[in-house]
Amino acid sequence: MTEQPGTRTSMDRKMVHPQHGAEGTILDIDNFCLWYGLKQALFNNTISVEKGLVTALIGPSGCGKSTLLRSLNRMNDLIEGLHTSGEIRLDNQNIFDSHVDVIALRKRMGMVFQKPNPFPMTISDNVSYPLKIDGIRDRRILSETVEKSLQSAALWDEVKDRLKDNALGLSGGQQQRLCIARAIAADPEVLLMDEPCSALDPMATTKIEDLINELRGRYSIIIVTHNMQQAARVSDNTAFMYLGKIIEYGKTDTIFTKPRSQQTQDYVTGRFG
Amino acid sequence: MQQTTTEKTVPIPGLRRDKTVKKSVIWADRLADRIITIGGILVIVAVLGILVFLTVETLPLFRSGQTTGQFRYQLHDPPPVILGAGMDEYHTLTYMLLPDGRIRVFHTRTGYEMNPLHISADGAAITASADSMDQESLALGFSDGTIRIAATSFDMSVIPESDLPSGLTKIDDVDQTDGDTVFSRITGDQYRLIRFRATVEEPIPSSPTGQPITNLAFQSSGEAERQTRALVSLDKSGYLSMNRVQEKVNLMTGIKKTEIEDIRLPPLPKDIRISVIRLSELVDTLLVACEDGRLFRYNLQNTATPVLAETTRVLPAGQTLTVCEYLLGSQSLLVGGSDGSLNLFFTIIEPQMGTADKRVMVKAREFTPMTAPVVRISAATRGKTFAQSTTAGSIRVAHATSQKTLLTMEPQTPSPPLALLLAPRMDGVFYLSQSGEASLVQFSTPHPETSFQTLFQRVWYEGYTEPTFTWQSSGASDSFEPKLSLIPLIFGSVKAAMYSLLFAVPIALLAAIYTSEFVHPKIRDILKPIMEIMASLPSVVLGFVAALVLAPVVENWIAAILLSFILIPVIMLTGSLFWQFIPLHLTARHGGIFRVIGAMLLLFVMAGITILLTPGFEAFFFQGDFKSWLTGNTGDALPFLFLILLPVSALITGLFYSRFVNTWLMTIYGRNSLLAASVMDVGKWVFLSVMTMGVSFLMARIMSRYGFDLRGSLVGTYVQRNTLVVGFAMGFAVIPIIYTIAEDALNSVPNHLRAASLGCGATQWQTTIYVVLPAALSGVFSAVMIGLGRAVGETMIVVMAAGNTPLIDLNIFNGLRALSATIAVELPEAVKDGTLYRVLFLSGLVLFAMTFVINTVAEVVRLRFRKRAAQL
Repeated sequence: MTEQPGTRTSMDRKMVHPQHGAEGTILDIDNFCLWYGLKQALFNNTISVEKGLVTALIGPSGCGKSTLLRSLNRMNDLIEGLHTSGEIRLDNQNIFDSHVDVIALRKRMGMVFQKPNPFPMTISDNVSYPLKIDGIRDRRILSETVEKSLQSAALWDEVKDRLKDNALGLSGGQQQRLCIARAIAADPEVLLMDEPCSALDPMATTKIEDLINELRGRYSIIIVTHNMQQAARVSDNTAFMYLGKIIEYGKTDTIFTKPRSQQTQDYVTGRFG
Repeated sequence: MQQTTTEKTVPIPGLRRDKTVKKSVIWADRLADRIITIGGILVIVAVLGILVFLTVETLPLFRSGQTTGQFRYQLHDPPPVILGAGMDEYHTLTYMLLPDGRIRVFHTRTGYEMNPLHISADGAAITASADSMDQESLALGFSDGTIRIAATSFDMSVIPESDLPSGLTKIDDVDQTDGDTVFSRITGDQYRLIRFRATVEEPIPSSPTGQPITNLAFQSSGEAERQTRALVSLDKSGYLSMNRVQEKVNLMTGIKKTEIEDIRLPPLPKDIRISVIRLSELVDTLLVACEDGRLFRYNLQNTATPVLAETTRVLPAGQTLTVCEYLLGSQSLLVGGSDGSLNLFFTIIEPQMGTADKRVMVKAREFTPMTAPVVRISAATRGKTFAQSTTAGSIRVAHATSQKTLLTMEPQTPSPPLALLLAPRMDGVFYLSQSGEASLVQFSTPHPETSFQTLFQRVWYEGYTEPTFTWQSSGASDSFEPKLSLIPLIFGSVKAAMYSLLFAVPIALLAAIYTSEFVHPKIRDILKPIMEIMASLPSVVLGFVAALVLAPVVENWIAAILLSFILIPVIMLTGSLFWQFIPLHLTARHGGIFRVIGAMLLLFVMAGITILLTPGFEAFFFQGDFKSWLTGNTGDALPFLFLILLPVSALITGLFYSRFVNTWLMTIYGRNSLLAASVMDVGKWVFLSVMTMGVSFLMARIMSRYGFDLRGSLVGTYVQRNTLVVGFAMGFAVIPIIYTIAEDALNSVPNHLRAASLGCGATQWQTTIYVVLPAALSGVFSAVMIGLGRAVGETMIVVMAAGNTPLIDLNIFNGLRALSATIAVELPEAVKDGTLYRVLFLSGLVLFAMTFVINTVAEVVRLRFRKRAAQL
């Protein structure tokens, strides 16, 4: 299944017009394939993620959105029998190169998961966790980062009086914003969000979406969602995936209004998925 | 409406089924419900039943006496003075020796007078008497200065009812008499005959001037045909003489030869008024007590030259000695003063006091004072129980060691005592007042020697230099007193458990962390069952392997083992350090298998290196022999302190490093290539190792400068079967349990927490330490507690490998005796319902309580953990 780098497949033509960010691309996914054992899950995907913009990955369940997202910070590494081909380049550096420090890579790519997963510790400990693992013990720096990150995650006003309370006492939406704050605290370049609102109620979802809009520009955000309205609301660019392939990639309003592919058309209009 | 519903329920004709639940299903359900409920309740009842059973078995240990029978009567014609008295085992007959040579014998329960016996002494009156410890003979001192020895005995036999002679006089419901013998009806239509006999031997001249004997002490020993008797007498002129009478019976001719040896005692001061003389059972001590409370102790161990070893006071000044009596074994002496006090003295070895035989009399116990002076003491011949009576006739029966009051009795009219007799089986006390009021109280005290104090607190046993916790349940001589402190056993159990946990917990927890967090799932699927197979080894196998194989090996290689405790972590860490030099793409792809195999190989290499290094290590640190260093004869405290402080100083260095240097170093690493960083890392390691050793040396130097030496506390003289061996064997037994539970706890931490941590850019190790371990902490804690519970209750390993010495000693190279081992070893020899038997049940109860508490804590923590884990 491996193909020579540089060979372009027919799909390329459908994704030539993403909205361009002000500072060019940050992430190049080039002909990327992935196998779970003998079963191939991703097929020759090639897109460029624009810096500072919000890129949405949409598609029906099991189409490989999350797998692709998790490949970006190599969270899939530990899965047994997993191997890949093709390249994913962060700032023109292939992240699968043997001398790449995975730990450092993940520090550049913060991740927010589907289910809110705060650590069973205090709110401030949760947010300062990325600093703690870097060996930063300075209380002043820690508390500054906690405040800034929580403010960025629009959670500060709600929790500033109970920073020493256990994070598990927060509501689901607050927990998810706390996880975003935790990701922000590491000062990443890219924020990977894996269906961040699927476990939340509509009110909390709105808050997260507002937050994504606020974070636009400061971070390059890649968000996986199967809520098409959400993709339409928050993203600048959208990639539609189906059966492990990126079918179409382009400006979000183009994808939703004038998709080139019939499959995209069917999906965004709700015929399947 | 109804129509449509009916139609709907019959969609396919012919498939109509009865939707009601069948009776049989309901019954099966109900039956299963009942069986499960009953089973559960039965389990709880069984556990509670065991608890109740253990408690019921041990309760008698703490009971005092219970009166079982009481007989009061007025004795006809009470004599003014009684020189000696005695009672048989069944409280049937009592004799009283009167100064005119008459021996009055009467029925103890009713006072019925039997035919008296007479001791003829050529007209001389009896002026003093003394009985030997076995109470089978009596020494009588006469007014003509001679002494005769009388053999006294209660002859007993049992006859069937058909042999009962006619014409007997009835005494009470059970007893009849012919005037000399009492016939007591006993079970099975049989009669027990009891008759008192006394025969007097030839006189032995004692007072050189023929003065009346006023005081007498007497002991006899040896077999029937080679008897030795020792006699000490005081005559009216104050002359103290000691005689040894040796009797030899020629076995061929039957002729008896008597040799009398005069022993010269060193003189006493002239101006004293001797009140009591007492001779110890083994005739090695003679005590002369004066009225004013002064006591002279002769050491007679060398019979040819007796030594006046010590002069001491047993009463405060101004008090008068009212009673002075040996207890069983002639070690403990009870001394009563005129203020009603009663104290117990015995001799202990104390070279510093400057006495001639390096022994000194000490006051070991004080009994609750009586309201009037104690004037009579009757000591038991089978234990440390004694009866005492005051001038007012108040009676108390107590045990000398447990200080437990078994019985108290007040007379109807206060009157001084004429006789006080504790029955030979310690189940009755007879009292006769000067007014002739006689009373016999029967009581039962199955376990007079045990109390909370003797079981759980320090007790000053005779011959010991200080109060101690001692377990010594059986001894060689009849006068041996069982010492039943449970503290050494509890200490032994806890010590064994603690040292084995010290060995097992790090291994089990690190293994659990390794398999749950680091190792490839495939390898984990192999490793975990292997660890769990360890648990299937019977502990008795572990025990004898530990005792017969491991113990000698450990003894031979003790220095190597000590060295390996340091070398294993060091070499493992060094190995992981050099792992960094293997290119990333190799380690990333084949890491798991290679790492395991590499670590195994490294362990073997390490074992070889350790064996090679041991002689040098021993020579450098311990003058060439670790075991002789342990005894404290060679070397100083520094080397061992240095070794034992290494982990501590490693921790300090590590903390210092991570607090102040790490961040700065990381930024430097970041600026260099991977190889350069690895090389720098090696450099850092060398530096940190040197730092660690330096810090350790510094601390050891300071501690040894201030006289701190671990020899005598944590380490000491090496015994082959010791706690280290137990620690290894029992550690081996508890590792699987701790490992399995801890692994499950770690595994049950949800993966999304690991993902969150890894997603933040944490390493595996950081994720484990900061996220997984805290989340699983209560589960891990309960794993350790369950391991502790298992270790405390473990029996066979400690029976076989621990040496079973009931010591309270932290020394890891010394043995121990655990509660469980004691039960296993001693229960087969314990008499049913005896004191030891019940004390062993109490040990069981204590063990039950310990494991119950530990396991309950573990279970509570585990439930809490489960609840918390469910929230995550």
